[in-house]
Amino acid sequence: MKAGINTRIAYTYMVSKVKSTLVAALGVTFGIGMFIFMNSLITGTNEYSEKTMLSATPHIRLYNDNKISNTDMLNRYLGDRTINLISNPQLVPQDNRIFNPDAVAAVLRKRKEVIALSTQVTANIIYSKGNVQENGTIFGVNIAEQDKMFDISSNMIAGKTQSVADNPNNILIGIGLAQKLNLKMGDYVRITTSTGLTKTLQVSGIFKTTIKNVDETKTYVSLPVVQQLLQKDRAYITDIYVNVKNYSLATETGNSMAQQTGYTSESWQQSNEQSLAGKKIRDIIANAVIFTILLVAGFGIYNILNMVIYEKIKEIAILKATGFQGSDVVSIFIQQALLIGLVGSAMGLVVGWFTSYLLSKLYLGLGNVTYLPMTFLSKHYIQGAIFGLLTSFFAGYIPASKASKVDPVSIIRG
Amino acid sequence: MSIALKAEKISKYFYTPEKFKVLSDVSFEVQTGEFVSVVGKSGSGKSTMLYILSTMDTDYTGNLILNDQQITGRSVNKLAAFRNEHLGFVFQFHYLLPDFTCLQNVMIPALRLKKLSAAEIEHNAYEKLKTLGLEDQALKTASRISGGQQQRVAIARALINEPAIIMGDEPTGNLDSKNTEVVFDIFKQLAAEHNKTIITVTHDNDFAAKSDRIIEMKDGIIISHDRKPHEL
Repeated sequence: MKAGINTRIAYTYMVSKVKSTLVAALGVTFGIGMFIFMNSLITGTNEYSEKTMLSATPHIRLYNDNKISNTDMLNRYLGDRTINLISNPQLVPQDNRIFNPDAVAAVLRKRKEVIALSTQVTANIIYSKGNVQENGTIFGVNIAEQDKMFDISSNMIAGKTQSVADNPNNILIGIGLAQKLNLKMGDYVRITTSTGLTKTLQVSGIFKTTIKNVDETKTYVSLPVVQQLLQKDRAYITDIYVNVKNYSLATETGNSMAQQTGYTSESWQQSNEQSLAGKKIRDIIANAVIFTILLVAGFGIYNILNMVIYEKIKEIAILKATGFQGSDVVSIFIQQALLIGLVGSAMGLVVGWFTSYLLSKLYLGLGNVTYLPMTFLSKHYIQGAIFGLLTSFFAGYIPASKASKVDPVSIIRG
Repeated sequence: MSIALKAEKISKYFYTPEKFKVLSDVSFEVQTGEFVSVVGKSGSGKSTMLYILSTMDTDYTGNLILNDQQITGRSVNKLAAFRNEHLGFVFQFHYLLPDFTCLQNVMIPALRLKKLSAAEIEHNAYEKLKTLGLEDQALKTASRISGGQQQRVAIARALINEPAIIMGDEPTGNLDSKNTEVVFDIFKQLAAEHNKTIITVTHDNDFAAKSDRIIEMKDGIIISHDRKPHEL
């Protein structure tokens, strides 16, 4: 019953000052509401930008990088009786192909974490129709594999992805390029490589990823078309794209794949470092704002408890005179703080949800962002409630321990 | 008759504004069931002594035994527990908790003690209020009753845990003569019929004169234990 009487006193003190209690609780409410809203928005934004990144970048890209010249061959020829050094080593230009790509792909497919894999050849080319020219990158792909990885089918606004595989003269282009060159379904577009080779292809599909850069430069054709343009054999593959189950571990998985195959790996995190830096900065800003709000809420609770204790100091003295211990007094005021925190947090959850809900209906219409990206995760609500109670606890602890040290004699004697 | 209170050579200093001996080697005993008044001029040290006897003030030298238990040297928390169970206080001001009803005010020390169930405590508290003629006020908020009633509620609160010793610091200092009479009669009755030991500090010589014994203090020492105070 000890908790009983302390709780009852805390509760009575709280309801006897409804207005100031509400003001203090509102501090927590706004803190928690803001916490939930900010976290929902930040997570929404991060998820959105991650999705955007992954719609154009594979989790892992394996390719054959130019290597710096080393002493391997010298050592093999001269043996290790001498120490062999190369002064001023240079990058060795080489055929940037994946050797025996089918074998490499087979090895990678055996790994448990691989969920999609696509081999391809890319080339930087010039698209032209009439006298108008546009730069871009052409992707020679196995369209079925690529579709599985990037879900191109769902972005198609005209035609079918499969058309590329059906006819080697077909090409899939982005909506941006279609507008710039005034290309419609069935129109012909001329492709020119850096070595001057040209080829004319027929538009059999138009996709819209909503990423401007992709829509204006990227095109898909079947593998042999690009191999032909580059005057290479049918085994010429420059990149292997891999998607894995846990994409947050792509860098680690990629490194292990690089070690296994001997090629260079680049994870989506590595190729989007700037965006990830943006994510970090957003997190820091949000946390700073949330921390400030919770701190202010904490001061609100601290203030009201100080006021209550100042007003009730004689009552605290008499409680101590009739046998309440310091720990009882601490318990009374901590409980009062927690009650305020509980009320404030509960309202904060509602306010946070409501704000998030309202703003998720805010139309932006910029680029591919239609509405403010917002998540509704129970995790944020639980965290919010915990933070609210923690803030109340610490804000209540200082005045409570001060109250517990009240000397009843000096108060009662006046 | 057993000894309810034994004070041995109790001395206390005040340090502000300068070092000053308020109590010097005060020793006395009080029997169980005795009604003792402590009188003396302002500054004679009588209140200071009462707060030492009440166990709330621990800054003194000497030795104190209450209810056959050694008090001096106990920890603050143990003293609080002792006060809760064995001591009752009535002050010049009632010090009731104004946000609670009279009944709740009386119940609080018992709820702290946790010896009885809440229902039993409520019953006891109601009985206490009844003996003090306050049954009609039980459910009123403590701030809404008259001064004399408030003081009687405070007495009921002091009695709720059936303490052996009741201490009063000018319990009638704020009351008119009629209410003073009432409070005195209650104390008298508690001592005579319920064998409670009562020690009150008072300025009221009539009140003191009617008690069992008067301890008169001056300049930090007891100058008489008589039935009649000096220089009445």
